Amino acid sequence: MVAATGRFLIHSYNTSLGFWFLLYQTINKIFTRPFRVKEIIKQLHFVLNESAPIVAFCVCSAAAVTIVESSFHMKIVVKNDSLVPGFAALLILRELGVVVALLLVTSRVGAGIAAEVGTMKVTEQIDAFKMLGMDPVKYIVVPRFIACILGGAVLSLIANLICLYVAMLVSQIKLGYSAGLFLTSIRGFVEMQDLCFSCIKGAVFGGVIPLVSCYFGLRCQAGPEGVGRATTNSVVVSSVAIIGLDFLLSWVFTNFY
Amino acid sequence: MRGSLKNIVSDVGLGVMFLGRILYTAKHSPCKRKDIFEQTWRVTQQGAVTTALAGFFVGAVMTVQFTMQVKGFGALGFLGGISTSATIREIGPLLIAFMLSGKIGAFTSAELGTMRVTEQIDAIKCLGANPIQEIVLPRFIGIVISSFFLLAIGMLMSIVGGLILGVLFSGISPEEYMRHVPTVVSWPSISLGLFKSFVFSLLIASVCTFKGYTAFGGAKGVGRAVINTAVGTMVGIVIADWLTSVVSEAVGVIIFY
Repeated sequence: MVAATGRFLIHSYNTSLGFWFLLYQTINKIFTRPFRVKEIIKQLHFVLNESAPIVAFCVCSAAAVTIVESSFHMKIVVKNDSLVPGFAALLILRELGVVVALLLVTSRVGAGIAAEVGTMKVTEQIDAFKMLGMDPVKYIVVPRFIACILGGAVLSLIANLICLYVAMLVSQIKLGYSAGLFLTSIRGFVEMQDLCFSCIKGAVFGGVIPLVSCYFGLRCQAGPEGVGRATTNSVVVSSVAIIGLDFLLSWVFTNFY
Repeated sequence: MRGSLKNIVSDVGLGVMFLGRILYTAKHSPCKRKDIFEQTWRVTQQGAVTTALAGFFVGAVMTVQFTMQVKGFGALGFLGGISTSATIREIGPLLIAFMLSGKIGAFTSAELGTMRVTEQIDAIKCLGANPIQEIVLPRFIGIVISSFFLLAIGMLMSIVGGLILGVLFSGISPEEYMRHVPTVVSWPSISLGLFKSFVFSLLIASVCTFKGYTAFGGAKGVGRAVINTAVGTMVGIVIADWLTSVVSEAVGVIIFY
């Protein structure tokens, strides 16, 4: 038991050390030439344009469920649901929109990056990069990092917008609040800050995804099982990291209200 | 656009047919009980730490959010009740299903995909055994059963996380936090959470076994199967969440009024 715990601790220490080193390298190399604008735009298309339909679709369901559930709880505690629009908008802008959107991006983009980089590693393309004197971090990690940060911020805005719109629709159909009533009642709860914070959260979560995926992809062991394990690990670790960071950032942002 | 829509529809149809085959096999030629126990133990063991971690942070985030909401009413006493109820009814099953799909779903689909690509499944067929009975059915049942254990772990951890944050962040005593849990959390809420968890685990189990079983095209095909599993389960979970909410509301209206 003690030995297992010790092994686990040493393993996680090594992993986190490698991860911080990758982060340091990446940030160092963002500002060095050449800037690979074309590659960044290509990655941005993969992160943003191809994820947007799935995110929009899923966020719609999430918004509908939020309205129904908050009305249920409000009826228990304060015996009426006139404040549901405000609270639902608050929950959507502070937590729901960005977390659901970025968890979906994790499963799609994170798994994609880990599989791609892992296959590159297994087929020795990374070694070929090194042979040619090209830095794999600069050429593989940095464009994905920048694209995911931008994409995460924009996706969180899109998700919030769609989520609020669907919440408005559902509260009109299910609870009978008109659109005008919904908008006026959320004005007392929501401020511009919330949207900015949600955007920051999206950017931070977006930055986590490619770093974790590239970390596991670059350390992928040989063979197809290695790629599979790298993909699984990267999805799990980045999902847990997103939930943990969400908690941390929520705590930090409460000091600014 | 039309081509991709056609692909999605045919994929869903094939998946449902595969689920039908699994259920048919379960009825007519059930697998050994020992295999099911083995798979259940493996899945529970693999997912326990991740689920506990995710549950802890979810409980913590819910408490921080609900504190800001109920403080305005001076109803901090209800904090524990509401955040526990929201976790049990809605957020808990959803988040645990996300974790399960990232960890177990991806792993199972990679495993089955590798078996398919390295022709182990064909070998089983050659030996006159039914591969669905021998390898798919134990995994399917194992995932469904172990999801309940994981749900229990996640729920307990989320209550602990909420309790700790309630003491640290909102400054109420543990007794005060726990006092309204029995009054707000009701049997219908718990059964709704269990029902949701059951539906999600059924969905994860059928999607990951289907995608893994029908993988083709070497190592790249396995990677594609894993990514498709991750995306398919995430989208499916969000849609199933909405559908179960609607269904349970309709059933609730029939039962309680």
